[in-house]
Amino acid sequence: MSAASTNRQKTNTFRLLAPGVVWMILFLVAPIMMIVYVSFWTQTTFAINSTLTLDSWRNFFASEAYVGALWTTIRLWLIVLTLTFVIGYPAALYVGLLVKSKTVSTVLLVLCVIPFWTSFLIRVLAWRPMLGKEGAINIILQKVGLIDTPIEVLLFSELSVIIGMTQIYVVFMVGPIAFMLGRIDRNIIEAARDLGAGFGRIFWKIIFPLSLPGVVVGAIFVSVMVLGEFATSGALSGRKVNLLGNIIVTQVGSLKWAMASVVGVILTILLGIVVAGFLRIVDLKREI
Amino acid sequence: MTQSDPIFRLEGVTRRYGNLTALDGIDFVAEDNSYIALLGPSGSGKTSLLRVIAGFETPDKGRIWFQGRDITDLPAHERGIGFVFQNFALFPHLTIFENVAFGLRHGATKVPDAEITDRVRASIDMVGLSGLEDRNPDQISGGQKQRVALARSLVMQPKLVLLDEPLGALDANLRERMQTELRAIRERLDVTFLHVTGSETEALAMGDRVAVLDAGRIIQHGTPDSIYDSPAVSDVAQFLNRFNMFEGSLKDGMFHGAFGAVSVASARPNDTDVYAIRYDRTRIFDADASDLPGPALPVRYLASEYLGSSIIFLFETADHKTVEVDHHLSLGEPRDLTVGQNYVLSWDPAQAIVFGKESAR
Amino acid sequence: MESKVLKPILAVYVGLFILFLYGPFIVLGILSFQQGPEGGPQFPILSWSTYWYQHLFGLTPPSRIAPLPVGEALVRSLTLAFMTMVTATVLGVMAAQAFRKRFRGAGVVFYLIVLGMMVPGVLTGLGTSLLANNVVGIERHWWSTAFLAHVVYTFPFAFLVMLAILNRFDGSVEEASWSLGVSPITTFRKVTFPLIFPGVLSAMLFAFTLSFDEFPRTLFASGRDQTLPLAIYGTFSVEIHPNIFAFGVMTTLFSFALLSVYGILMGLSVRRAKKMAMQEDIA
Repeated sequence: MSAASTNRQKTNTFRLLAPGVVWMILFLVAPIMMIVYVSFWTQTTFAINSTLTLDSWRNFFASEAYVGALWTTIRLWLIVLTLTFVIGYPAALYVGLLVKSKTVSTVLLVLCVIPFWTSFLIRVLAWRPMLGKEGAINIILQKVGLIDTPIEVLLFSELSVIIGMTQIYVVFMVGPIAFMLGRIDRNIIEAARDLGAGFGRIFWKIIFPLSLPGVVVGAIFVSVMVLGEFATSGALSGRKVNLLGNIIVTQVGSLKWAMASVVGVILTILLGIVVAGFLRIVDLKREI
Repeated sequence: MTQSDPIFRLEGVTRRYGNLTALDGIDFVAEDNSYIALLGPSGSGKTSLLRVIAGFETPDKGRIWFQGRDITDLPAHERGIGFVFQNFALFPHLTIFENVAFGLRHGATKVPDAEITDRVRASIDMVGLSGLEDRNPDQISGGQKQRVALARSLVMQPKLVLLDEPLGALDANLRERMQTELRAIRERLDVTFLHVTGSETEALAMGDRVAVLDAGRIIQHGTPDSIYDSPAVSDVAQFLNRFNMFEGSLKDGMFHGAFGAVSVASARPNDTDVYAIRYDRTRIFDADASDLPGPALPVRYLASEYLGSSIIFLFETADHKTVEVDHHLSLGEPRDLTVGQNYVLSWDPAQAIVFGKESAR
Repeated sequence: MESKVLKPILAVYVGLFILFLYGPFIVLGILSFQQGPEGGPQFPILSWSTYWYQHLFGLTPPSRIAPLPVGEALVRSLTLAFMTMVTATVLGVMAAQAFRKRFRGAGVVFYLIVLGMMVPGVLTGLGTSLLANNVVGIERHWWSTAFLAHVVYTFPFAFLVMLAILNRFDGSVEEASWSLGVSPITTFRKVTFPLIFPGVLSAMLFAFTLSFDEFPRTLFASGRDQTLPLAIYGTFSVEIHPNIFAFGVMTTLFSFALLSVYGILMGLSVRRAKKMAMQEDIA
């Protein structure tokens, strides 16, 4: 290609990209690097200095509460991920594949998305009058006569956090799966049916493998959000459930920047492993 | 300017996409104020060539000269070369008037509003669309869109307009009408049209000059007559779709083919040995006829096709090759043939064109 | 056929699923009409009233329950969301435009941008405040550090929306414009932009709502002055009252108002899009 026009095009591309790339490097990459760096700083009671030390790291692994938070985070993540998949997949199957009418399918998807137009925090908070001792669920269960005394474990427990997170994040699982299911060529299914395959066989041999990229995308969405959570656990657990995110918040609140950074690094590593793991299952670039 | 001044010139223009060479060192000189048809099969690189001249793409090698100036490194909007797209590429958010006025309004040189109005009206009038100025592009037909695209380009008074299969998206009737109109419009203006097409009829009918492009190279360039009468290589003859082509071997001035051995006066250099005789020079004789003007090709009659001014007869040779004979009705009534019956085809050997690896003496 | 059984079962299931998504809202909506100021944020409803809505706008006589600090917070949130929307959309359109040509390092740049929406807010928030606090040494404000973090978060969404739009965009109208002697910049303004405007609107909507509702990044990266989500978060730790429910209903209504505006703007530009589509059909 002639040099002048190649250069012109390169300059053009560069000019268009530079602002965004610089922004991301300065305000995304640099901050994350900063977390890693500060995790090795020396923390005194109210201040922090850049003398490098492993103290904060030692403190993290020496503390049962902190390491406990790591396990709680992983446990809750696995539970919520499983629940969003188990609850979300059938809904996605219906919306994306079984509904014949495009309009009905779109209406259902819009119905799923509408709640997102309410503040995230309000959505979390809405579970309190739902799950409380005098909450809607207990009242209904008592009226129906299923229980005599209200179930107290519903609110301010790990269960309430799980319920809350599942409700908030399940749509992120439904969306991508429904999208992938919607792309399946119905003729393939018809052909398989003509060859005498039952629905179970068709599902496991055709439908599920083809929807797998959607599952992976959904799982990445849910994982990233659940692992970085602290608001839901803060609002619905009554401080009984501490996730890595909650620790970061309280540490920053008491100006313990170094410890907050250590937790931040651990969270980053955890996220990296999880996302990389999912990407190994499906090559997303090829699928999309 | 005289008829022969070059308007643009290509020097070794090469364009590659990865491993694929779309344009392979093209040299070409186009004379001013002419209608040039660029004929090529799909994949021959004809659209690439047009896009390189327009400046939408840059050649990997070679230079492009336009009105005596090297424009190879000039961006498209500084070249002053018009372009008419196959899909018209009208601005869907603007009226017909604004579509045509677009270049005058937003170009580098400021044009007064009054002049814009005048020129746009004149241009729209020229393509016969007066009264449709306030319509939107979705409210007019395909042929009208093509005219708008043309008017939009011509209002800028370019010296060269590139037309990328401009009639490809139109139906057959409209295509014929637009052919005449395109020629008429061009003749009224001092402008060169470079018209790319995949249709040999269109190229031969429209071009003052025709260039044949194959595999990224211009294999022949000349008047429609010269190309029709004497294709330079067998590929051109093949592509013109007007010759019966026979494979065989050329040796010591004799061509050996399905019709026996014929002595050949001269042969054009080619990659393979091919004997070509035009459809309308091939004649039909009874199987036992003895007064043949030349070689005898035994065939079986298959079918005929009536084309209005002529009839095409289709035959099959012993090795299942289809041979066509084109009989002009102006030459008299065609003879009656019986389907499945054997006949002999013959022709005047002087009218055959022979291509050969060795040039015959 | 199994699907004859399966389909109705799943239809019922989807009904329950939607109830699961909406249940809390219904309860929240009902409780927002609780009697005030005595009624608590739970059942039973003592008596129906709009007390908490009046309370929200400071129309009730002073009581022990402090009004939500929403007035100024709302203005800040709207301003921040607007700033973020403009910046993120401009960056998104520019980057997506660059991606229309192939260039070396495209993969790296793509992932760098997308990373902004993948990294949890708690991490970007923490990192940004570390950088501001301990390296640059500036005070954190909602309009400075939080704004930077908000753009990091919303720019990728705007970018992806624009990428999808430009992928389907037929570039020949741009080439037509160049061949008429119109410079690429004017071509973008007069041809490309009007035609991709519906996409730009979507990108803007995305950026605005994401920023308006953004919470974790703001928590770390903004200073004393609260945005709306921070004000709501502040009520978490102390006792909650039905006024927060009334507020929830109000914000939902506000969101729908915003959606309607978007819908109207979209409707206006959809005519253009239709024209575009029709032209493509013929081509």
